[in-house]
Amino acid sequence: MRVLGCLDGTNAEQIGHVARMFTSVEPQTIALLTVIDIGPREDIDRLRGRFLRPPMGHQPVTEEMLAAETAAAQEILSAGRAYLEKAETMVRQGRPELEIVNAAAEWRADVILICARAEYGEPPHLGPRSVGHVARFVLDHAPCPVLLVRPKAREQFPIDH
Amino acid sequence: MFLYFPLAEFWRTLLTSLIGLLTLVGIMIRPFRWNESHVAMGGAATLLLLGLIRPADAALTLVRDWNTFLFFLGMMGLSAMAEAAGLFDWLAVQAARLARRSAARLFLNVFLLGTVITMIFSNDTTALILTPVVYVLVTRLRLPVLPYLFACTFIADTASFLLPISNPINIIVMSRYPLNLFSFLRLLFLPSLVVIAINIGIFYLLYCSQLRGSFNIDNLSVVGKAVKHRAYFRYTLWVLAIVAPSYVIASAFQFPLSTVAVVGALLLLGGALFWKRTTLLDAGKGISWSIFEFIAGMFVVVRAIENTGLTIKLGNLLLRLSGGTSFGAVMVGTFGAALGTNLINNVPMAVVMNSSLGSVQHAAPAIRNGFVAATMFGCDLGPNLTTVGSLATILWLLILRQRDVEVSGLDYFKVGVLVTPVMLFAGALTIWLLS
Repeated sequence: MRVLGCLDGTNAEQIGHVARMFTSVEPQTIALLTVIDIGPREDIDRLRGRFLRPPMGHQPVTEEMLAAETAAAQEILSAGRAYLEKAETMVRQGRPELEIVNAAAEWRADVILICARAEYGEPPHLGPRSVGHVARFVLDHAPCPVLLVRPKAREQFPIDH
Repeated sequence: MFLYFPLAEFWRTLLTSLIGLLTLVGIMIRPFRWNESHVAMGGAATLLLLGLIRPADAALTLVRDWNTFLFFLGMMGLSAMAEAAGLFDWLAVQAARLARRSAARLFLNVFLLGTVITMIFSNDTTALILTPVVYVLVTRLRLPVLPYLFACTFIADTASFLLPISNPINIIVMSRYPLNLFSFLRLLFLPSLVVIAINIGIFYLLYCSQLRGSFNIDNLSVVGKAVKHRAYFRYTLWVLAIVAPSYVIASAFQFPLSTVAVVGALLLLGGALFWKRTTLLDAGKGISWSIFEFIAGMFVVVRAIENTGLTIKLGNLLLRLSGGTSFGAVMVGTFGAALGTNLINNVPMAVVMNSSLGSVQHAAPAIRNGFVAATMFGCDLGPNLTTVGSLATILWLLILRQRDVEVSGLDYFKVGVLVTPVMLFAGALTIWLLS
C-alpha cells in the first residue's frame, strides 16, 4: 500500500501517528509531501502591478524568498521524518491543492493522508468551515481514497446543537 | 490635426471624452496585457496628434507638475538606496526580536514598522519592499504567512496620510490645492490614527486564532545578517535622520518636498557609490521609469478633458451631491474617490479629482478643505478594498474561483470588503468633525 502524507508545517505528529497505524495492517510505502505555496508570491506580484511595477523577477529578495521557502520545506520534512524514519520525501512548488492531487496521481498513491487545516496553536476547530480549502479541494479531486485527519477534540463533546 | 482643420466644439468634446474614456478603460482592463503606462501615453499621443490638446498646453501641464515627477524619483531613489543598505531587513529583524517569541506581538510590530516606513518613505516602500522582507522573515520563523502579508499590504495604504510625503497621491493633490502642514495634520493626522487603530483591531479579531503560537528566536540568526556593510548602513541612518525632519520642516514652510527627497536620494547614492554598494546602472534599475510615462500620459489626457469643461461638470456634480455641507463634501469626496481608485487605479483617480475640484475652489473653506482632504483620504485608503489589484483583477479572480481553483488574491478582497468601508466611514467622520 502506498500512503502519501501531506505535511503543512503543523501536523507532522498527527500524520506520523496515523501513517504508523497503517503499518500494522499491511506493508506499506510512505511518502511525505510538502508544497511550497506560490500564492503569496503571486499576490506580491499583483500588488506590484497595482503600484505600476513589473513582477519581481530575479532580484536579491527573490532569492532570499526562495531560500527561506526551501529551508522551511526541509524543516517540515525533517519533522515528518522524525515520526516516519523510512518515508520518502517530496517537495513541490505551486498551489498546494493542485500539487497534492497531481503528486498523488504521479506517485500512484493508494491513500492520501491530509489534515483538515493547519493549526497554529489554537484549540481544534470543529463544525462548519473546519475543513480548509486545500483539504476540501483534495477531497473533491483526489485520484484515490483520502483519509481526513482531525485533531482529537473529545473535550469539545457532547455537541448540544 | 484638428488644430489646422477646425472642428465644432461639440465634436471636439465628444472626441476628447471618448479618447479619455478609452484610456481609462484601457488602464482598468489592460487589453492584451498592455502596460498601463503605454495605454496612458497612447491616449496622450492620440490627443496630441489629433490636435485635441495643444503641444504647448501639454508641455506646460507637465512642467507645472515638476514637483510630482521629482518626488516620485526621489522617493524611489531613497527606498532603493535604503534597501541596498539592508535597512528594511534590519528593521524587520528588530521587530521580531522585540516581539520576544510571540506571534501576536510580532504581528503588532509589523503594523507599527509598516506605519513608520510608510510615514517616512511612502506607501510604495512598505507595500513593495517591506512585504517581501516580512515574507522571508515569517517563512524562516515558520509562522502563518498570510496574516503578516495582509498586515504589510493594508498598513501601506492605511498609514499613508500621516504626513504629506506618506503617499505620492498627497503630493499630486497638494501641488494643486496646497495645504500647510498644520492644516494637513489637523484634517488628516487624527483620522489616520483612527483608521490604523481600526485596521489593527479588526485584523487581531480576524487572525487571533493563528497568532496564538510562538516562534523560535534561534531561527533569527539566519536572517540576522541584514547589514551587509556597516559603514554604509550607519551613513544611511544618518542621512535618513536628516531627511525625515527635513520633510516636516519643508512641509511646514511649503517648500517643495521633491527637493528633499531628491537630495536625500542623491546623498544615499553618493554613499553607496563611495562604499561600492551599487553602481549607477543598478541604481537606475531601482527606479521604475515607466511610472513617469504613466503620470505624464495621465496628466495630458486629463488636461485635455479639463479643457472641454467636463471635469468641472463632474466637480459641480460632486458639489451638488454633497448638498453644500461639509459633511456631504467629506462623504462624497471620500467614497467617490475610493470607488474610483478601485476602478482605475489611484493615480489617475487623483488626477481626475484634482481637475474636478476646480469647481469647489470658490465654495466655503470648510467644504473646499473637506473635499481636498477627502480626496486624499479616499484615494489613499480606497485601494485597500481591492488591495492586490483593481476591481477588474478581482473579477478575474472570481472567474478563476468559479473554475474551482483556489485563489489567494481573493482572500485580500474578502478582508478588504470587511475592513475598508468601516475605515472609510470612521475616517471620513473624523475628518468632518475636524474640518
